[in-house]
Amino acid sequence: MYTELHARSAFSFLEGASLPEELASVCKEYGMASMALLDRDGVYGAPRFYLAAKKIEIAAHIGAEVTSAEGWRYPLLVESREGYRNLCRLITKMKLRAPKGKGNVSGAEVAEYAAGLVCLTGGEEGPLAHALAEGGIESGTECVRELCELFGKQNVYVELQRHFLREEETRNHAAIEIAEKLGLPLLATNGVRHALPERREVLDVFTCIRHHRTLATAGRLLARNSELHMKTPAEMAKLFSDLPEAIANTQLLASRLQFTLKDLGYEFPKYPVPDGKPQIHFLRQRAYEGMISRYGPNDERARLQIERELNLIEKLRLEGYFLIVWDIVRFCRERGILVQGRGSAANSAVCYALGITAVDSVKMGLLFERFLSEERGEWPDIDLDLPSGDQRELAIQYVYERYGKLGAAMTANVITYRGRSAAREIGKALSFNPETLNRLTSLVGAWEYKDANDTLARQFRDAGFDMHHPQIRKFFELCLQFQDLPRHLGQHSGGLVVCQGQLDSIVPLEQATMPGRVVVQWDKDDCADMGIVKVDLLGLGMMAVLEDCLQIISKDYGEEIDLGHLPADDPVVYSTLQKADTIGMFQVESHAQMACLPRLWPECFYDIVVQVAIIRPGPIVGKMVNPYLKRRQGREVVDFLHPSLKPVLERTLGVPLFQEQLLRMAMIAAGFTGGEAEELRRALGFKRSEKRMKEIEVKLRCGMDKNGITSEAQEKIVQSITSFALYGFPESHAASFALLAYASAYLKCHYLAAFTAAILNNQPMGFYQPDTLVRDAQRHGLKVKPIDVTCSDWLCQLEKDSQGFCVRLGLRYVKSLRGDVALELVAQRAMRPFLSIDDLKFRVPMIQKSELTTLAEIGALNFIGGKQGVHRRDALWQIERAARRPGPLLEVVEGAEEELKPASMEVEAAPISPAMQSPLAAMTGEERLVADFRGTGMTVGLHPMGHHRVEMKRRDVRSASELFNLPDGMRVRIAGGVITRQRPGTAKGFVFLSLEDETGISNAIITPQLFEKYHVVIVHQQFLLVEGRLQNQDGVISVKAETIQPLHITRAETTSHDFH
Amino acid sequence: MAFASIYVPNFLVQAAVRAEPQLRARAVVLVDGTPPIWNVVAANEAALQAGIELGMAKSQAAQFCNVEIRHRSRLQEKSAHAALLDLGASVSPRVEDTAPDTIIIDIAGLSSLFGSEENIARQLMQRASDLGLITHIAVSSNLEVALHAARGFAGITLIASGEEAKRLGGLPVRALLPSTEILETLERWGVRNCAALAALPLLQLSERLGQEGVRLHELARGASLRSIVLAEPGVRFEEEMALDFAVAELEPLAFLLGRLLDQLCARLEARALAACAIRLRFDLENSFEKDFQVLDDKPPRLAAKTYEKVLGLPVPMRNSKMLLKLLRLQLQADPPHASIVKIVLCAEPSRPRAAQGGLFLPSCPDPEKLELTISRLANLVGTSNIGSPELIDTHRPGEFRMKRFAPASDESQIPQKNGSTATAQARQEDTSASRRAATAFRIFRPEVQAKVELQDGYPARIYFRGMRGNIVAASGPWRTSGDWWREDAWQQDEWEVDIRFDASASSRNERIPNSRAQDGLYRIYYDSIRTAWFARGRYD
Repeated sequence: MYTELHARSAFSFLEGASLPEELASVCKEYGMASMALLDRDGVYGAPRFYLAAKKIEIAAHIGAEVTSAEGWRYPLLVESREGYRNLCRLITKMKLRAPKGKGNVSGAEVAEYAAGLVCLTGGEEGPLAHALAEGGIESGTECVRELCELFGKQNVYVELQRHFLREEETRNHAAIEIAEKLGLPLLATNGVRHALPERREVLDVFTCIRHHRTLATAGRLLARNSELHMKTPAEMAKLFSDLPEAIANTQLLASRLQFTLKDLGYEFPKYPVPDGKPQIHFLRQRAYEGMISRYGPNDERARLQIERELNLIEKLRLEGYFLIVWDIVRFCRERGILVQGRGSAANSAVCYALGITAVDSVKMGLLFERFLSEERGEWPDIDLDLPSGDQRELAIQYVYERYGKLGAAMTANVITYRGRSAAREIGKALSFNPETLNRLTSLVGAWEYKDANDTLARQFRDAGFDMHHPQIRKFFELCLQFQDLPRHLGQHSGGLVVCQGQLDSIVPLEQATMPGRVVVQWDKDDCADMGIVKVDLLGLGMMAVLEDCLQIISKDYGEEIDLGHLPADDPVVYSTLQKADTIGMFQVESHAQMACLPRLWPECFYDIVVQVAIIRPGPIVGKMVNPYLKRRQGREVVDFLHPSLKPVLERTLGVPLFQEQLLRMAMIAAGFTGGEAEELRRALGFKRSEKRMKEIEVKLRCGMDKNGITSEAQEKIVQSITSFALYGFPESHAASFALLAYASAYLKCHYLAAFTAAILNNQPMGFYQPDTLVRDAQRHGLKVKPIDVTCSDWLCQLEKDSQGFCVRLGLRYVKSLRGDVALELVAQRAMRPFLSIDDLKFRVPMIQKSELTTLAEIGALNFIGGKQGVHRRDALWQIERAARRPGPLLEVVEGAEEELKPASMEVEAAPISPAMQSPLAAMTGEERLVADFRGTGMTVGLHPMGHHRVEMKRRDVRSASELFNLPDGMRVRIAGGVITRQRPGTAKGFVFLSLEDETGISNAIITPQLFEKYHVVIVHQQFLLVEGRLQNQDGVISVKAETIQPLHITRAETTSHDFH
Repeated sequence: MAFASIYVPNFLVQAAVRAEPQLRARAVVLVDGTPPIWNVVAANEAALQAGIELGMAKSQAAQFCNVEIRHRSRLQEKSAHAALLDLGASVSPRVEDTAPDTIIIDIAGLSSLFGSEENIARQLMQRASDLGLITHIAVSSNLEVALHAARGFAGITLIASGEEAKRLGGLPVRALLPSTEILETLERWGVRNCAALAALPLLQLSERLGQEGVRLHELARGASLRSIVLAEPGVRFEEEMALDFAVAELEPLAFLLGRLLDQLCARLEARALAACAIRLRFDLENSFEKDFQVLDDKPPRLAAKTYEKVLGLPVPMRNSKMLLKLLRLQLQADPPHASIVKIVLCAEPSRPRAAQGGLFLPSCPDPEKLELTISRLANLVGTSNIGSPELIDTHRPGEFRMKRFAPASDESQIPQKNGSTATAQARQEDTSASRRAATAFRIFRPEVQAKVELQDGYPARIYFRGMRGNIVAASGPWRTSGDWWREDAWQQDEWEVDIRFDASASSRNERIPNSRAQDGLYRIYYDSIRTAWFARGRYD
């Protein structure tokens, strides 16, 4: 019986064309009991191969093809755990000293790590083929002899492959002769590079990508035939009918390869406890200290919960993990870095007591099993949110320093081919010209929702492509085949793995592109599947906003705000949320959230938790949003599906909104254990696991039958649970996010200037463009001042005038102005104000004409050299001359004159010199608007619609603020600049537009039919006039569009945030 | 001195409409591009009003009802431009060919023929209309003023002397055709018309925009002066001869061709030029396609009325005798299908070859004679079968292409740097491989179809070239496949077989070679796409 012992997957990055799962499944289909995966210089695909094989009950042997210094590759198979450890270390050694994607090993290194490994002589890229080509049979014999010396004679197999190639057969004859001479066993393999014959096309395109060729020019680099696919044991037996021992040996060797990834030997590191006491003691001390400060000394419920959790932690020997996370949080706190745990860790009272999370799980009655369960046999998952940027980097570097280069590494992020990237590469390989290529790739981006007419074929036709054209058809087929195949290894943004021993004996490590970073060869899911604990240090834009905001408040207002001690029930915050006046606030600012807030009417913190969780695909598709809101408004009777579920569903009025509730429902109604409930959660997480869901459904119904639940109630319960397959929030996660939402709302309501400056300094983030954020702040009474080189810094800053704080826009918003130029400009200005544009150009020589032009166009140079100011065209007139400087000699002389001027001659009372004025006319309002949007993407002046209000009134167009006072069902016209376009996957093809005018934002709902009719106008026009029926229900205002027309009111290039 | 400038607005569309006058009242869109991508490059006013935008994809434009879509035709544009030049030439010999859509005519002295300047302009507009072109015409004593006024103002514009600056004032600066950079600067300054530009102080303007700024300032003031650049009729080396009696034989035709070639070569010599190609066109008598003999319900198709041939030359020549020989050989290989009523010969001029012989350089054949020899051979074996074979970098067995013989250039004698291209490597590998090969292999070209009987998956008997043989030994299959992205993908299983032919076949049939002598080692293959067996060749 044949076993395939030499196969590459697509994790050989462009040298294999099938995913490990596909290889495993074909192996099973062909009736093989096991298979070996040998990817190039790594074990990238091993976890997925192992898991897939485990699922279908075949054995997954692990190995790798390791590149030698001479360029050929050692095909190595892992026999034992020692072998695996050696293989990982060998690869790590090779990878860490070479640039990304390169590296090779010397014979001496192989000898050092050879124990536990079996070496094959390889196919056309193997050592034997190389030696035979170099020096014939003598050289080949010598090569195999050397392999025997390296690995031991019993660990070398002479490999034979048959792909119907003459050269290969010649090689085989030589190999057989050598094997006989040296008394080595023969081994038949097929050197598999793809599971099915048709994947050869993918392999050929990969070859083109690798060699930067097209299919037309790749010539003999391409595969000679399609025989590198997996073959059935019968086919292989037929191929090697003359050498039955080569087939039989595959079975013998496979039986020797006892190692599987189950025996990884991973241990989480121990936390270095200061006085050498057991870790659990130290953890208990920290937890009790935290408990007293968080709950006070007499909270018996909290104490019991913490005690229960600590016992489980001790039992599972996870104390080191908790201490390490605690240590990271402590480090952040000491350095003033905002940090907050999220995800299921918020279910833990110990995490709360240790300061890892900010959610009181005891008070909220959160399910601890969701975080940690004895049955599950999995590591807990703690995610830490940190401010995005340098602060997060500090925390990451701290972990590296603490656990050493080979003790901690980032998890990888396998970059796979997606629509656009696949289309681009395939198009290049098929020699499409750049224009065709651009057109084709632009086609691939599509709206999230696709209606029946929105097929790819139609999109191709619309773009002028004929699907009957053979090349276009081939392109299309290849695009489909390319989906999800790995392209290269990236670095996950925040996942860190830490190991007790050397991490390089668990998984190979390699250099990341970012200097100083080391990355493991597996992505975070693979690490989790292999039982490796990871700590996610995630960068969150809003955390950075909050941190910046607190700093600004401290600096400018002179107040110290502690996010942990914000007033819990601030009436202004709740009233703002109730009005859905939430632009810029974390998680509650989207159109859908805004449409829900007035109906949900949040009055306490838990309402915000619900609000954050309810607008998710799970509750929306599960049709849970409306029942919840109706029950809240008293328009529907609260029903608990079954009386036994009342304790679980009571606080969400009988509607399950959180994952924990579903798990509890399963536990109560169907008698699931904590572990079974967790299995259910994992099943919910997989979109494609319909089969798994069906199995669980049977189990659920069975359990409910036992508990005597009626079939009607069963149906409802199953319906609630299965609809969550699409994604819902765990309550703990929602609570963590709700804290941030509350904090952002509080700061925006009470420190608008600081919040606005902070959020503008952390763009891009959130749902809206900076222009919308500025306009929203202006509507709330904040004065936003334009960019001015005489006072703007790189970042937006606060200024104080008679009316209070206002925001001065920073130079970061000047499009095309380079950061280093801006910083130099600010530094020069700090030394001495600029006297003129010439002075600025002289003192900041690196500034380019295009940068000066943009600054002049947006009015940032208007006040240079005097307080009276010139107009923008005066500045433009000046810069044309300033940019055409005389030669360097004269320039120095001119500059020197300025240098010689005493500081007292500074600009205080300097009048505008005639030279600063120009013969040009000042810009009109429209011209300024156009220049502002072109140069900064926003304007601090009147909204473009404001300039046309009279005309709008004449055309019977209502402003956004007027709509609140109009009755439901009235026919109205609204108009404005489009700020968002959305076509959510859950909305059955409906499109939601947000239109902004000078008074606020109005929303339009567009039916799929109307969208079809006005597609071009809706997608391409920036200002629209929409006519339709007003929907004014529970304070939620929108217009159901009936007609849509473009509005040509300005040439300003406004932008919108589109989700399609 | 007065000049009339004639400008054809939206020239591309007008050129198309001129060929199809019925489109004049319709919304028309022109598309251009590289297949399969076509974009809108021009549209008339009606189309733009219907919502068409330049740059749109053809398929998007096709969604607009009542919009006629045509592909841009450079030929039509050439004709329209030629018509514009003819219009100028019809009133004055002094015409400037300014741009494809613009000409300038010196109308000084035409008043005695056509009356006032306004009448001249009207006449020109009428004649343009007769030629199918709608034009803007401007008349001024200043050539540049006339040029820009025609581009900027519709209808007829007469600009009296001294009024140039005033009249040009409202003209958009874009009409002065400034560089993109300066146009952007002017737009930023809010300077949109000539009046605003002319109002800027010249010195300060020159400090900012340099000499181009000064030139534009002059143009805007109507103060620019330049002379007319007369259009020179293009020198075409073309000779033609209409025949009183149609010629069907090669000999009399060669006589006529010889005369024309003598004239052409003499003209080329007069200008110290030679021909790098000769274009030949015959107008033919009406005839029906020869192969229309089969029974067919369809009416007889009229054969093409012209016969065209291009004789490409490896080196520029003007030896009429040599050229005639080459032409004769071409005509022998591919004769016209009907009698000839008109001959047009056109030479593409080029600088003659100047070769310096070296005392120590090896002698090589005269390239002209070599070309003649090659042509003779091509005439015998077919043009696709001559040249030097060149291997193609592919796995497709036996694939090669014929490369045209070309005289060795001086560069080819210089040792090349070691190229790392796959082709160079492949050639090297092939050379070393052939050096190693002990057995020669003779490829059958064309391939020979065979019938093969299999036994246990191995070829056992074979029939080809009328012979039948037993396969006593077979090695294979050697499988190759590729070019899967093309229409002509291939997949073949090759075998090396040792064939013993049946002696009786050749004894019965004298045409069949002595079959025993044919015994030996062959390479055969099964073509999976064509589902047939072929013999590829034989090992010596």
